[in-house]
Amino acid sequence: MRRKRLFTSMVSLVLIMGLLAGCSGNGNNGSSGNAPKPGEPSPSTSTGEPVKLKMWGGVPPESGPQEVINAWNKEHPDIQVEYVRFVNDDEGNLKLDTAMMTGQNVDLFINYTISQAGKRMESGLAADLSQFTDYNIDEKMGQDAKSWQIDGKYYGIPTTKSPFFVALNKDALDAAGLKVPKDWTWDELREYAKKLKSGDGYSFIQHTEPFVDPIDSILSQEGYTKPDGSSNLDHSQVKNWLEMLNVMMKEDQTTPPLGEQLTSKMPVEQEFLSGKVPMLNIGAWLLRSSNNFTDFPRDFKIAFAPVPRLTGSADEYVTRGGLGDYISINAKSKNQAAAWEFLKWYADGGMAPMAAGGRLPASKDADQDAALKSLLGDKSSTYDLDSLMYVMFDSKTPTYVRSLAQEVMDIRAQEYEKYFLGTSSVDDTIAAMVTRHNEYLKQNK
Amino acid sequence: MNNNWMRRQQLLGYIFIGPSMLGVLLFFLIPAAYSFGLMFTNYKFMNPKVEFVGLDNIVRLLQDPMFYLSLKNTLLFLLAVPVSIGLGFVVAVVLNQKIYLKKLLRGLYFMPYITSGVAVAFVWMLLFHPKQGPINGLLRSIGFDNPPGWLSTTTSSMFAIDIIWIWFLLGYNMIIYMAALQEVSPELLEAAKMDGAKRGQILRRIIWPLVSPTTFLLLITGLIMTIKTFGIIQAITQGGPGNSTTILSLFVYQNAFRYYDMGYASTISWALFIVILLITLVQWIGQKRWVHY
Repeated sequence: MRRKRLFTSMVSLVLIMGLLAGCSGNGNNGSSGNAPKPGEPSPSTSTGEPVKLKMWGGVPPESGPQEVINAWNKEHPDIQVEYVRFVNDDEGNLKLDTAMMTGQNVDLFINYTISQAGKRMESGLAADLSQFTDYNIDEKMGQDAKSWQIDGKYYGIPTTKSPFFVALNKDALDAAGLKVPKDWTWDELREYAKKLKSGDGYSFIQHTEPFVDPIDSILSQEGYTKPDGSSNLDHSQVKNWLEMLNVMMKEDQTTPPLGEQLTSKMPVEQEFLSGKVPMLNIGAWLLRSSNNFTDFPRDFKIAFAPVPRLTGSADEYVTRGGLGDYISINAKSKNQAAAWEFLKWYADGGMAPMAAGGRLPASKDADQDAALKSLLGDKSSTYDLDSLMYVMFDSKTPTYVRSLAQEVMDIRAQEYEKYFLGTSSVDDTIAAMVTRHNEYLKQNK
Repeated sequence: MNNNWMRRQQLLGYIFIGPSMLGVLLFFLIPAAYSFGLMFTNYKFMNPKVEFVGLDNIVRLLQDPMFYLSLKNTLLFLLAVPVSIGLGFVVAVVLNQKIYLKKLLRGLYFMPYITSGVAVAFVWMLLFHPKQGPINGLLRSIGFDNPPGWLSTTTSSMFAIDIIWIWFLLGYNMIIYMAALQEVSPELLEAAKMDGAKRGQILRRIIWPLVSPTTFLLLITGLIMTIKTFGIIQAITQGGPGNSTTILSLFVYQNAFRYYDMGYASTISWALFIVILLITLVQWIGQKRWVHY
């Protein structure tokens, strides 16, 4: 009997231990993104234990980041950086936030929107960079950096130029006798689209990310709320935008109905690069695909036009873009000084290999020619360089960074989808947006 | 001695269920209790400021039109379950007879159930494509000039999801029914035939009542599983277009992991729990009328 009891308690003990081990095992797996990387020099070359940094970013390692940190690690045996990729969507950002909240080693992280950066700042995760006095962000990055300040302070360095533009199939434009515009309105774009349309195909498509930018261009200046604190989503230009696009979808049939685009998850880059659709509203990340001739073979030249404006006057126009890739230092990191060293080096040109994916360094001290070379690679003959230089560097149009809360962006999107799908009239749509936005404002006073 | 032995037996029993109870405790009961507590706070993930807000979240929920919309969408989604059970029964009866390629057909019907949800989602997205999809291609070729937009309109999207879900559940329902049909005693069927009952009568008056416990089981598990589902909708529409396919579980997910609004998300999940509880209770009471053991 006694032996039997001993046996049962042993068995249960083993089972419980197995269970606990199973749990902790999972925990370890969850946090391990640290497989040894090829090309990392062995730490034995340095004296003492090297500082190890982890940097979290959304770009796949092979599209630049790996090359960047390999270059750094070779020069700095005492500070070794490891790149961890998170996918820049809801799940990916949640993963990053959880990793930081639970104190896993995140030393540097890249914010892709200012609202995410703001949330992380409020939670005390993004270090206030004014504590470091040896780098003047305003001076290095120029006026556009200001839009990344949160409560007047920098909690990160905006590192890249992040232009948004309409990519054009130059060959198609030439065939139709159309010029590459340097300043245009949505009405003019609509005319272009009509002239470029052939058969059943579309002549203008939009990436869903900058889809709603025409509204933001206006509301970011005039305010998302009225002076009395209520929603400003009933601004006259909102209606103007909705009706203009709706006509393009339904009457002109030059751009796909939104319902079709969303539910078929239309691969807009592919549609454009295969030559099917001659105009695409997108941002700098197009270069990642357009430089990739293996997956996206292409036989035409790409030209670039600024994003058109809704309003009449070019002087008042503000376009989305400016700077991007806002890199913060984790306020809970033990290696903030080392992270700061790396960050400065990264911003001042260390990031050059990222240019192949469309990410040009924003710092005035970075070698722009080298970056441009890396951006175009051996493909420079397949781009219209004049218009490329214009949208990337020369355009003097002031810029804004979208800072709207995710909830409001979703409210807006859900309501305008109903309009574009024909289940709601334009006035009902705007009324619904305003009601829900006001409700949100009430909840989040 | 005997008493001692009993106690030891009991202890042994507890030891055996111990590990799984520990799992239930750690991964279900404690989180559930925690979420119940969160319901009364304004806790946002990452935000260190947590305040007790009393019943604010519940009041907000009851006044939130999005909640009622997702409740309605959930009920529309649940329609798929009885339809799929009915079809499963028919298919099982047909495949229970001597027909050609029985085993192959059985396998084919069961395939969806063991296929990865994301793969299923993408295949259906292609099939349902309003312009180039084969379904609308077929409809056009047989004379429908304006075939439905399926997933691409706010009015039809929930039904398109229903169709996918019916197809997905069908194989499972069929397999369980086939097992149940084996249990129907041949004597009863023979006796009915001798008395001159027609095929339809046998099916309706004898087989259907005899498999009613199976129907009940499928209905309860199917409804509970369906109401908790969110992966397939997240993969296909993310609740869109507009918010026409936002069901309760997706609404919870969006509030929790997109907006980090954990307090409100906990409130919605408890509302979801109440809905599941009510549906199950109604069935449990209703079963006395139509389930024959």
